[in-house]
Amino acid sequence: MSNQLIEAGRWLRRRAEDVSVALLSTMFAVFIIQVFFRYVLNDPIGWSEEVIITTWLWVVLWGAAFVLRESEEIRFDILYSNVSENTRRILNVITGTVLILAYVASLPAAYRYVSFMKVEHSAYLRVPINWMYSVFIIFSVACIARYCYLVYRAFTGAKQPETDPAKIGD
Amino acid sequence: MAVTPFMICIIMIVTLGTFGLPIGHAMIVSSIAYMFMAGVDPGTAAEQILNGLFNSYVLLAIPLFILAADLMNIGSLTDKLLNFCLVLVGRFRGGLGHVNVVANMIFAGMSGSAIADAVGIGRIIIGMMAKDGRYPVAYAAAITAAAAVIGPIIPPSIPMVVYALVSDASIGYLFLGGFVPGVMLGLAFMVTNFIIARKRNYPVEPPIPLREVPKITINAFPALMLPVILLFGIYGGVMTPTEGAAVAAFYALLASALLYRSVTLPQLYEAILNSSKATTSIGMLIAGAMAFNYVVTIEQIPVSLQHFIGGFQLTAAGFMLLVNLLLLVLGCLLEGTTILLVVVPILIPTAKALGIDLVYFGVVVVVNIMIGLVTPPYGLLLFVVANMTKQSLGSIVREALPFIVAALVVLAFITAVPEAVLWLPQIFGYKG
Repeated sequence: MSNQLIEAGRWLRRRAEDVSVALLSTMFAVFIIQVFFRYVLNDPIGWSEEVIITTWLWVVLWGAAFVLRESEEIRFDILYSNVSENTRRILNVITGTVLILAYVASLPAAYRYVSFMKVEHSAYLRVPINWMYSVFIIFSVACIARYCYLVYRAFTGAKQPETDPAKIGD
Repeated sequence: MAVTPFMICIIMIVTLGTFGLPIGHAMIVSSIAYMFMAGVDPGTAAEQILNGLFNSYVLLAIPLFILAADLMNIGSLTDKLLNFCLVLVGRFRGGLGHVNVVANMIFAGMSGSAIADAVGIGRIIIGMMAKDGRYPVAYAAAITAAAAVIGPIIPPSIPMVVYALVSDASIGYLFLGGFVPGVMLGLAFMVTNFIIARKRNYPVEPPIPLREVPKITINAFPALMLPVILLFGIYGGVMTPTEGAAVAAFYALLASALLYRSVTLPQLYEAILNSSKATTSIGMLIAGAMAFNYVVTIEQIPVSLQHFIGGFQLTAAGFMLLVNLLLLVLGCLLEGTTILLVVVPILIPTAKALGIDLVYFGVVVVVNIMIGLVTPPYGLLLFVVANMTKQSLGSIVREALPFIVAALVVLAFITAVPEAVLWLPQIFGYKG
């Protein structure tokens, strides 16, 4: 892959990280505001829980889609970390293909569910739930793309991702 | 025996997991496959995950406790705390080992994550212990990993939040229930360290001049106040545990920024990014478990297991023994949150039917699963300290063995004597 593409990829990842940081910071800030209003001003606010819970949903699925690196995911790697590079390729092709099949096959149904949720609105902010839930579609599509790339890498001979935390640099 | 969709689902999780697919994805993929085979709308996976994450308010304590620990680690709260512990226990044989354990016990009172504790405290103390070859690096790494086990047992605790989610037991009482077992673990590790230190003639720290003690204590005071604020807040009925987590994170930030003036913006960004990544890793496991638990529920697995175990006429004690053995074996192979989210919910109905108290059950299960963090071949804490020290896993495991044995003794004791767990919650009004 050309250098510009790699640079662009890095730049995009950093922006994706910015989004994660913004989401978690928002969650944290709104929590503090909520505690302040409830216990200091004795005037509880209702909208805060909706914002907090939405940021939580987004931190998890957005992060899984764009921010988490291969080495940072929780996996059971006793087999994977102890086999040869070529065996790793085969394992990655198998797991990647199964994941792509499952996520592609269920994408229309997931999309139907999320868009159906436009009939419901959140209690305080009256935001349509399908907006809040849309992150699941982003997550599904991103995972499909990501695993297509991983399977492609397994075929083309790029070095396979390392998962043993003891072997990954700081 | 006919091959059912459920069997295929289980085989897929195990196979995909063993082949190295992240466990959260493995559970989601297999659950989707089950839905296709069983004729359930595959959109149900999205529905379970989204509604599950959206409706479990207690889970919000997880990112906040992670954030609190990360913020403490960038500020110099941890350093000040270690200095204070040096005053307390440095002068005993194997002094820095004791400092390690005591610092973890205090740190445990503000952090809910064993990994954050091992990183935060280990970052400094492993260097102190290994300096001039005073302790073997592998020993320093081993005791750091072992002591970090205490973190999620002394409240607050992320695994207990997860357990509360699957069991509906009260988070407040679970936290209290972990207190005595956590202190017992700390004492057991200190005894172990003392015996080893005497045998190998590990050094004693030079006594700290009395006139420096007030200064060190005052410096550590803001760090020491955090557990106090947290516990009073939650048990004084002022805050929910989730809000307590937010306040703890806020306090850590203020203390680091204002009192110790040691936080820069890039550090803050890095800490929040780290926390959000840790949140995502755990959140993906929870998402996978939400999808998979739907499968388990419609297959009525917990009920079948209850009937199956009922057939053996097990007593409560026999069941607890079995649960402990099962979880210890699983803990060697699997990550703790996965066990809590997937295996434990299947066991809970049987525990209930046998009249086992769910707070007691939860604390025993969490202690057990935390020991799993230091048992090979799969022990997250072992990986963390191995990565920090660049020592081989084998050498660290050898040094960790006596500590694992000590922890198992404590586990056996609290399993046999439920009062050790329930005494404190009952003082605070738990009617279990």
